[in-house]
Amino acid sequence: MAGTLHRLPTVTPARRLAWRAGAIAAALAITTLFLALSGRDPRLLADLVVRSAVGSRFGLEDLALFLTPLLLTGAAVTVTGRIGVWNIGAEGQFYAGAIGATAVGLFLPGPAWLVLPLMAACGIACGMGWILLPALARAYAGVNEIITTLLLNFVAGLLTTYLAVGPWHDRVTGALASTGRLPVRIPEIWGVVHWGFPIALAIVLALAWLTTRTRWGYQITIGGANDQAARYAGIPVRARILGAMLLSGGLAALAGMFEVAGTVHRLQGGLANNFGYFGIVVAVLARGSCLNVLPAALLMAFILDAGIVLQTQQLTASAVLAITGLVLFMIAIADELAHYRPVTVRRATTGAEARP
Amino acid sequence: MTDPRHAPADGPPPIAPGTPPILQLQGICKYFPGVIANQDVSLDVAPGEIHALLGENGAGKSTLMNVVTGIYQPDGGEIILDGYGQSFAAPQDAIRAGIGMVHQHFKLVPAFTVAENIHLGWRETPFRASAKTLESRTRALSERFGFSVRPDAVVADLSAGEQQRVEILRVLARQARLLILDEPTAVLTPAETRDLFRALRAFRARGNAVILISHKLDEVIDISDRISILRAGRHVGTWRTADCTAAGLATIMVGREIVRRDLRARAPGAAAIARDPGAAAPVLSLRGASCRDARGIETLRDVTLDVHGGEILGIAGVAGNGQRELTQVLTGMMPLSAGTVLLDGAPVPLADPAAFARAGIGHIPEDRLRSGLAPSLDITDNMALREYARPPIGRHGLYDRAAAARLAGTIVAAAEVRVPDLATPIRNLSGGNQQRLVARREIRIASRVLVAAYPSRGLDIGAIATVLRYLTDLRDQGVAVVLVSEDLEELLNVADRIGVLFHGRLMATIDAATADMETIGLLMGGRSAPNGPTSGGGHA
Ligand SMILES: Nc1ncnc2c1ncn2[C@@H]1O[C@H](COP(=O)(O)OP(=O)(O)OP(=O)(O)O)[C@@H](O)[C@H]1O
Ligand SMILES: [Mg+2]
Repeated sequence: MAGTLHRLPTVTPARRLAWRAGAIAAALAITTLFLALSGRDPRLLADLVVRSAVGSRFGLEDLALFLTPLLLTGAAVTVTGRIGVWNIGAEGQFYAGAIGATAVGLFLPGPAWLVLPLMAACGIACGMGWILLPALARAYAGVNEIITTLLLNFVAGLLTTYLAVGPWHDRVTGALASTGRLPVRIPEIWGVVHWGFPIALAIVLALAWLTTRTRWGYQITIGGANDQAARYAGIPVRARILGAMLLSGGLAALAGMFEVAGTVHRLQGGLANNFGYFGIVVAVLARGSCLNVLPAALLMAFILDAGIVLQTQQLTASAVLAITGLVLFMIAIADELAHYRPVTVRRATTGAEARP
Repeated sequence: MTDPRHAPADGPPPIAPGTPPILQLQGICKYFPGVIANQDVSLDVAPGEIHALLGENGAGKSTLMNVVTGIYQPDGGEIILDGYGQSFAAPQDAIRAGIGMVHQHFKLVPAFTVAENIHLGWRETPFRASAKTLESRTRALSERFGFSVRPDAVVADLSAGEQQRVEILRVLARQARLLILDEPTAVLTPAETRDLFRALRAFRARGNAVILISHKLDEVIDISDRISILRAGRHVGTWRTADCTAAGLATIMVGREIVRRDLRARAPGAAAIARDPGAAAPVLSLRGASCRDARGIETLRDVTLDVHGGEILGIAGVAGNGQRELTQVLTGMMPLSAGTVLLDGAPVPLADPAAFARAGIGHIPEDRLRSGLAPSLDITDNMALREYARPPIGRHGLYDRAAAARLAGTIVAAAEVRVPDLATPIRNLSGGNQQRLVARREIRIASRVLVAAYPSRGLDIGAIATVLRYLTDLRDQGVAVVLVSEDLEELLNVADRIGVLFHGRLMATIDAATADMETIGLLMGGRSAPNGPTSGGGHA
């Protein structure tokens, strides 16, 4: 008699959820252990994190501010994922959106009710423009989108820094690396939380509906599941890939517009704060479902928020990043382990030995 | 099993009395949610025998073999190997114990070469091996086991028969003593089947065993030593092949007698063939149609044909002679490099499968799992593939899931497939049941033409009769049917005219009433005149 593992071909959602909960607990346990070893009191820190991240009004406001861009970038990556395309460039499209929005904000004076929609429109257009080339290359020439979208991130990041320290540099306050404060802002609804938050929530819900309840969503699903079958059914797969990628670019760009017009109020280098990359993480956690983006983004936002709290306790930013990585790593392991079930094996003799 | 009448070279080797069976199954049960796939199955396989496993679609044959090879765990019962109880946690364990399986749907990596596929995930693969080493090792293996393969060819470019040889070689290289083949001949040409059987007999002669799943009873009787039959997951019995007849087996399998009727005869009141002079233009025609593959090679050459309402046009030919291209051209999936497609006498400007479907042209594709279905999606989404843009499912750009589920329910009922629930991923259905669903889905939209490529592939004999009846019913309603098949008997039985393809050319179209197998066979080999000199060519 010996115990061994057997791989299940499919996993029920409940089983996966249970494993993920276990993974998060395990990651927290490991973190606690390391904090204790480095001479800190984990209980004190945990208490602090819980109290300031979810137990206080400021913590909750911060959580919402983190959640807003994560919902949009997470949805952006999920939408392309449904047709089998990986948009690794949400970070770049985020910057492009922020740049487009800032251009309108800085150079087009007018009432907020007019300028804000224009900023959003211009930002979205810039984000779509940023993904257009990779999208065309992928749809019509089969060029792998992972490399192209990724490389454009660095271009967008550097372009933002250049604009912020160069031509659009704020000459009034003399701040080092940012543009001047934008004359208009997205109005707040609750403390520092602006209208971008409910809009982002609504957009994710709308996308969940779009991807499962519309003809377009059905075509995307088929195209992602088997593109030969999609061609057989006469679905214009290339056009759908192009459309999904443009939508994705627009969503990430809107996150950039919200960030610049709602939270930071100026364009500066590093504005995207890795929200684009965290969007990939959110999408991986969401496993292709737009509805799942909601809890996945919430988890990610909580981790980031907790990280800020820990940084105030003299933990370095890299330690916080390591904890983030640990949580995601454990979840990835749990997703795989959820496929295994222990079975008891009776092995009188192995076949190899029995062979004459 | 020590029958002296068999030639010693390839007959079963003499087995000493008391030799334990290689494999013994005792009371195997396997359940899926809402499905009893196997219930209390007991059978044994002796060394030196070819054991056939028969049963209707969904009877649980593939599942039973997946249990034997460790892909599934049994919910009850025991697997006994060489007299010892065994339990395999994973397919690798079964391979180590000498059980190799070639699946109904191939599991090779299409982008890899033959040599790479053979060595993939194998303990004996040298740790650092150049492509050259792998290829020479593969060549050695192929000589040792008598399966000729091209080690440096990329799998995606191989014919079904060649891919299968790679799969078998892969298994044999891992020292299998028990080879399990799940419907190996469904996609093979007769010549490839003969090669396969020769190799299986040689394998048996070395004291090994084979379990063969097949729906082709004549083949089973030809090659097997014993036959076991499953019905609805249960083992009905095991017989010596020498005591069996095809008709008898069919009756046991299906539970009723299957009679082959002459399906060419029309029922009274059926639509006549719309071919008489003065009748409307043919529904679908090709004029000088040619097309090229990605490498620029002409795969269809100057084909001219007419398909009339109310007739079945059979297409015969050895697989790979342009059948796939012909069906794709007729259904708008492939553009022509020269010539025209005419629909009701009017040229069709653009190859657009959706437009062809809207015009009432249904298509049962050759490779259902790869091009007709999205295996990971559920039955509902797959059944909506043709009608998602029409009311009631598609209104105002929406996709009505409830309406799609109702459609799926209708198709499932019409196809007489039992499914526990429409949210099951379609890859969980048995191969034959997938085929039935695709056929029913396409018949729904085939109001003018149905192009059916090998529609009976993978079906049990009861289901084949049913599908052929579907086709004749459509014909009787005045629909034109193009039936591509490699089974000449089937073609002669249902088709009104038979076109023969050779090297992409339509050699001739002959009247099925006067045609005979021999003439068609000659045409299939590229000879145009049945009684002419053997060198008479149909080559381009
Ligand atoms: N993974 C699975 N999940 C749920 N049901 C399954 C799964 N695999 C098989 N089944 C069901 O078990 C039954 C037996 O299927 P199986 O594939 O063994 O049939 P089969 O005898 O091989 O038929 P065919 O001749 O059509 O290939 C079918 O009803 C099938 O739908
Ligand atoms: Mg099967």
